[in-house]
This record gives sequence, structure tokens and C-alpha cells, in this order.
Amino acid sequence: MLVLMALLLVAMEVATVNGSAHVSLRAALAGDNIARTILFDVRLPRVVLAALVGAILGMAGSTFQTLLRNPFADPFILGVSGGAAAGAAVATALGLARFPGIVPFVAFCGACGATAAVFLLARRREYTDATRLLLSGLVLNAFFSAIILIAFALSRSSDLTAALRWMMGTLFGASWSDVALVGAFAAAGLIVLAALSNDLRMLAFGEDDAKSRGVDIERVKLIGFAVASIITGAAVAVSGIIGFVGLLVPHLIRLIWRGDYRSLLPLSALGGAVLVVVADLVSRILVTSSELPIGAFTALLGVPFFLSLMRRSR
Amino acid sequence: MLDVRGVQFTYGVNDVTFQVTEPQLIALVGPNGSGKSTLLKLIARVLTPSRGEIAFDGRLTGQWNPKEYARSVGYLPQEPDTTFSIRAIDLVLSGRAPYLSRFSWESAPDDRAAETALATCDASQLAERYVDEMSGGERQRVFLARVLAGEPRLILLDEPLASLDVAHMQQVSALLRTIVRQTGATVVYATHDLNWAAAYSDRMLVMERGSLVADAPAADLMRPDFVRRYFDFDAELVTANGRAWLVPR
Repeated sequence: MLVLMALLLVAMEVATVNGSAHVSLRAALAGDNIARTILFDVRLPRVVLAALVGAILGMAGSTFQTLLRNPFADPFILGVSGGAAAGAAVATALGLARFPGIVPFVAFCGACGATAAVFLLARRREYTDATRLLLSGLVLNAFFSAIILIAFALSRSSDLTAALRWMMGTLFGASWSDVALVGAFAAAGLIVLAALSNDLRMLAFGEDDAKSRGVDIERVKLIGFAVASIITGAAVAVSGIIGFVGLLVPHLIRLIWRGDYRSLLPLSALGGAVLVVVADLVSRILVTSSELPIGAFTALLGVPFFLSLMRRSR
Repeated sequence: MLDVRGVQFTYGVNDVTFQVTEPQLIALVGPNGSGKSTLLKLIARVLTPSRGEIAFDGRLTGQWNPKEYARSVGYLPQEPDTTFSIRAIDLVLSGRAPYLSRFSWESAPDDRAAETALATCDASQLAERYVDEMSGGERQRVFLARVLAGEPRLILLDEPLASLDVAHMQQVSALLRTIVRQTGATVVYATHDLNWAAAYSDRMLVMERGSLVADAPAADLMRPDFVRRYFDFDAELVTANGRAWLVPR
């Protein structure tokens, strides 16, 4: 855990100092106004936001994998990404994308709405079945893709660029108010999930087993899914859809550290933070004329990993 | 200790009544689908009876705090789940979960209980190995140790012998005897193998289509007419090693 913390601090320092222009921390602290603005108003909030978004995706991924007892679960599996993207796409089609704050807000509402819908669809006689949850999420995501396509077809091309950038995942234009908002969600999520972790980890051994050990499984599932989805929704709203962090990081952590959910949760948060900070840095400096989407970079890294994982599992 | 009165469940269990008053090795036998698993789940509080009552230590199951009940009653499902690979010692330690409070981690007494449980199950040498890389017999011993680590007084095992070869069946069955003798706990285990149940039990509970049709020591139940009636098994009785065995006719 200490190693990951140190790694995160180093990554954040490097990511703050480096960019399309190298700005030294010393110059900013010495009172250079331009350096100050670039570092503290542009880069630092972006780097902190990257860390928070990564932490949320790591937490949500480890939570979903444990709750669903499915190593292939990711934070978007219950329709969060589809709901958020559909919300953003519809807002774009209605020409609302030009107003600041509208797209993130609508995306967040879409994410929460989608999660609630998936839950209502999967719940039967006060019991929530993991397979039905997965299936509902999958089907709803497909439904949302259709809405997104239609909404895009109806959008003006000038609005479309911004919407597409958002869908590919970007932290461009991050502000301290974004940081405060997402930070609050991340902190609250961490506290609730940590308080639940002693019960939640038992679900990895099967529901009957957990229940026989005094775990109120329906309560744990409800809170676990809801919290993980809401914090994911908050992250998606500011960063767009950054894939594979939530899937990849818990597996990387498990390869290094074979603990249960209680250690997996904080370690995945730290690991996710490191990955997104680095991915964001690379996306900024690889091509200087333009910014590459972070979502693409994490996926470029994630797809080969996912495939090798699939090959190794029976 | 355990008092099951007129218990019914929507599917599988119909008006079952029996008591356990002293530490015993009890075999719960019956053909497939006779309600053995459901009955064990009802006693383990995994399911709630639709009618009737189950009391443990004079208190109805519903009146117990779930964690407190879990410290007294240990349950091993038929096919325990291990989605993510885990070391045997960590799996056994997770059996201590009912003793942990919200934010606490296992401490020295929990480690000791886990080590003792592994030793009882003759599995100390497996502690550092991963459960998904073990043979069926090794796995079953580790899962038994996990139940024992919780130091329960009533142990419910659903088909603990089902996936084992004959050598491991013997080993695990003997282990069940050891557990009753060493820990003073009562073990109730489900099985559909009559001969094994008779050889390794103080008492047999026989279920058929959800009902309890017999409750007696093994010697009283090993009769061809009885197994033909309830198990649809055409058997002949032979005597070997001073015990009755049912063999196909």
C-alpha cells in the first residue's frame, strides 16, 4: 500500500510538471505568474481529478467483481456507462451541450437512472440474482447504444465533436470545483464500502455461505451496488467513459497481493489513481498538437490484458 | 440443543420434527431431491421456514442475532464457491468472520483457531497452498477446517462426501467422528450413501419427498424392506466386519 501511495505521488508530480510545455514547480513557487496559473489552475486540478476518477473506477471495479463473483465485471456492467452516455447524447441532440455543466449533470442522472432500472428489472420477490443483474445491465446497455446512435444522427455536427470527446474519455478543462465534487463522492464511497467490506468480502464465497455466517446479503448487495454505481456515475460525468481501469486494476492488484476485498478496495483505489494519472499524462504529451482520449489509452492497455485473462481462465 | 418442530418450506420440506440433545454424529440420508439440503439450509438460517419453528439452545432462530447464531452453528454448502483463488489459510481464517466487528481484522486468537482447525483436519501442510489447485479430498478438508475455525457447536455439512473417491470418503468420514469426539460438537451431514451413513453415524435421519420418515440408530434401519420402500433400492443384506451392509441384489 505504501509503495502504491509513493508511486501515486511520483506520478502526480511528474504529471503536473510535464505537459505540452514543461513548467517547473520551482518557478511557480518563486512567483512566476504564468507558471503558477499553468500548474495550480490548469494542470494540478486535472491531475488530482485523474487520480480521483481512477480511484473511483478501481473501487467500483473491485466491488462489482466481488459482489457478482465475476472476474469480468467492471464498473459499467450495470448500465452506468450506457445510461450516462445516452443522457449526454440526448442533451447534445437537444443542443444543450454548449451550456457548461449540462452534459455532466445529465450524464450523472442517466447513470443513476440506468442503475435503478437495472436493479428494478433484476429484483424478484425481495431477492436480487447476480445473473439477472448482469443480463439486465447488458440488455440496457444495448438499448442505450440505440438511443445514442439516434441522438447522434439528430445532432448538429458542431455539437457532436464535444460529445464524442466526452464519450472517449477526457479530463480537458478540469477545474477545482470538479475536484471538490468528485472528491466528495470518492470519499463518501470509500467510507461506506470500507464499512461494508467485512460483510461484502464474504459474498465472494457464495450467497448461501455468506448468509449462514450472519451476513444480511440483500442489504449488502443493495448498498454495495448502489454506492459503486453512484460514484461511477460521478466519475463518468466529469471524465467521460474511461474503460478498462475498473476491470484491469483489481486483477493487477490480485496478481501482486492475494488479499480479500478488505485490502483489495483501498489498493484498487490507489492502483486506479496511478493508472489514470499516467494515462492522462501520456494522452497529453504523446501528440503535442492535440489531446488523445484517455479512454483509448487505458483500453489499448486493457484489451490485451483482458484477452490474456480470458485465455488463462477455463 | 436443537429443536426442530413441524418445519415446512414451500418446496422440499414438509412437517419435519426432531430433537438433538447431546453431541452426536448424525447422518441425514435420503434419495436425491428428498429435501436434505433444504432442511440443512433452514437450520443454518439460509432459508426461513414457511411454517413451524427451529430453536437452538432454547431460543428460536429468528430471535438470534445473525452473527451470534453463526458463531454457534457452522454450515458448509454442497458446492462451496471460490471465484478468486485463495490460500487455504486465508480461506480457513474467513471462517472467523462472525467474530469480527465492522472494521476489525483477524487477530492472534483467530489465527490460533484457524491453525487448530487445520491441524484437526490433518491439513496443516496445505496452509500455504491455493485452494483451486487442490485435489477434491484436500479441498474438502480445508473447507471443513473453515467451518471448524468458527468453533461452532452444531455443524451442518451438505454432501461433504459427494465428490470424493473412496479413500478420501473414508478419510473425511473418519474426520467427522474425530470432530465430534474432539470438539464436543454435533455434526449433521447429508449423504445419499446408506452404507457409509450407517458405518459413520450414531443416528440416522431418513428423508423422503420432504418428510422425515425415520429417525433411529443405523442398526435399526439397515433392512432390505426399508430401503426398497424409501430408496427404491432392491438390496440384499450381508454381514461383514460385524456390521450389516446393503448390496444390490
